[in-house]
Amino acid sequence: MIIRGQFDIDLSQLKEEIMLLGSMVEKAFEDTMMAIKEKEYAKLDDIILNDQYINQLELEINEKATLMIAKQQPVASDLRKIIVSLKVSSDLERMGDLTVDIAKAAKRFKNVEQLNGFEDELQTMAEKAKVMMTSVFHAYRGANVMEAQKIAAMDDEIDTAYSNFVKSIFEVVAVETGVTEHVTQLAYTSRFIERIADYCTNVAEWIIYEVNGKRFDLN
Amino acid sequence: MALMKTVVREKNVEEKLQQHSEENVNVFKAKGLNLWYGNDQALKNINLDIKKNGVTAIIGPSGCGKSTFLKTLNRMVELVPIVRTTGSINYHGVNIFDTSVNLVELRSSVGMVFQKPNPFPKSIYDNVAFGPRVHGIKKKAILNDIVEKSLRSSGLWEEVKNRLNESALGLSGGQQQRLCIARTLAVEPEVILMDEPTSALDPKSTLKIEELIQELKENYSIIIVTHNMQQAARISDKTAFFLNGEVVEYDDTDIIFSTPNDKRTEDYITGRFG
Repeated sequence: MIIRGQFDIDLSQLKEEIMLLGSMVEKAFEDTMMAIKEKEYAKLDDIILNDQYINQLELEINEKATLMIAKQQPVASDLRKIIVSLKVSSDLERMGDLTVDIAKAAKRFKNVEQLNGFEDELQTMAEKAKVMMTSVFHAYRGANVMEAQKIAAMDDEIDTAYSNFVKSIFEVVAVETGVTEHVTQLAYTSRFIERIADYCTNVAEWIIYEVNGKRFDLN
Repeated sequence: MALMKTVVREKNVEEKLQQHSEENVNVFKAKGLNLWYGNDQALKNINLDIKKNGVTAIIGPSGCGKSTFLKTLNRMVELVPIVRTTGSINYHGVNIFDTSVNLVELRSSVGMVFQKPNPFPKSIYDNVAFGPRVHGIKKKAILNDIVEKSLRSSGLWEEVKNRLNESALGLSGGQQQRLCIARTLAVEPEVILMDEPTSALDPKSTLKIEELIQELKENYSIIIVTHNMQQAARISDKTAFFLNGEVVEYDDTDIIFSTPNDKRTEDYITGRFG
């Protein structure tokens, strides 16, 4: 007889719901960047609207986790799994919000031809962030510490790309006129992507905590 | 030669100081303790230092040896005639198994509270005064003081002060258990052994006993065997996990219930076996 079989089922369902939340955030981010690339800005409204489902699922996960703590009084690794589910779902929800921020910023983009190169750079940054998301969700599913530790190196790359991006884009403002609004929105967007990558790193830290019981600063 | 003597003397002083400081920290020191009931070995090579003025919880599945270990600490276990032990348990620098140890003194200094409240079919007063009377205290004024002090320490005084001469059997289960604790305190023990003291009590009485344990640990060393892991987590400073007569893990309670070292401990406290 497996003792606590139902509790184990509840724990894996909780993880599945977080994976679902992750895939919703991942899709929203991917769709946003695709709409920007294709200049289909109308699609961004749907993404902004759909964020409510991400928020809703995060609340459901919180309620489920709270009930599991109240009813099952978990300890040690069981407790960590539930605490981490609360933390990770909150980080994912924030990643969803940042995706909405990107969508809102993109709606203010102007068509400035001489800045197209910067838009391409943004897409490259976003692709890296997307790889981070995929890796960190995979690491979370498998509770894989080795994989989680590699996330930090990816974050460093994005941090460097972000600071180079901001520096060079504001150099354009100095020489071009009438581009300030677009440059500002591009800079915001790069900042939002960089923040999303930071949240991926947070999730990676929580994976390490879930497995080892120790907090580990990957930043 | 003089130098040799000085070195030897310093070494002796050092050993004594170390022993003294160990006694200040630990009340018991079990070393290589083995115990058999006939041919069945119930305790295997137990090495445990029990903290002074703290609460030590002993957890583990049924038949793991935790109650046996508890009852070994005041040699109550020897009431079973087929018991045989090897190894030592140091208490105040003396091995409690030494032939010189006076069992009556040991058991009054290491008191015990059992699973089911077991008051004598006497008045509340006589229950608490029983031990001191056995020890020869006859003066009413002294007995009154002891009874009041013990009942206050066990948190029962306010509830029973006006009916001290009524039968103890008229008290509720939780009150009876606190009376048994008062009865133990009346002979001024240093250590209180508790064998599942709340398993027969309702949740409110259980919490009262737990509060009481927290208060008592200021002045007494408490060792508690419990099946209720949340209780061990709530009230103890140290936790020992016993399995098949062995100590699998012994550490700060905070560590045992958050990041235990041994997979068997983790499996037990998370309810995966036992």
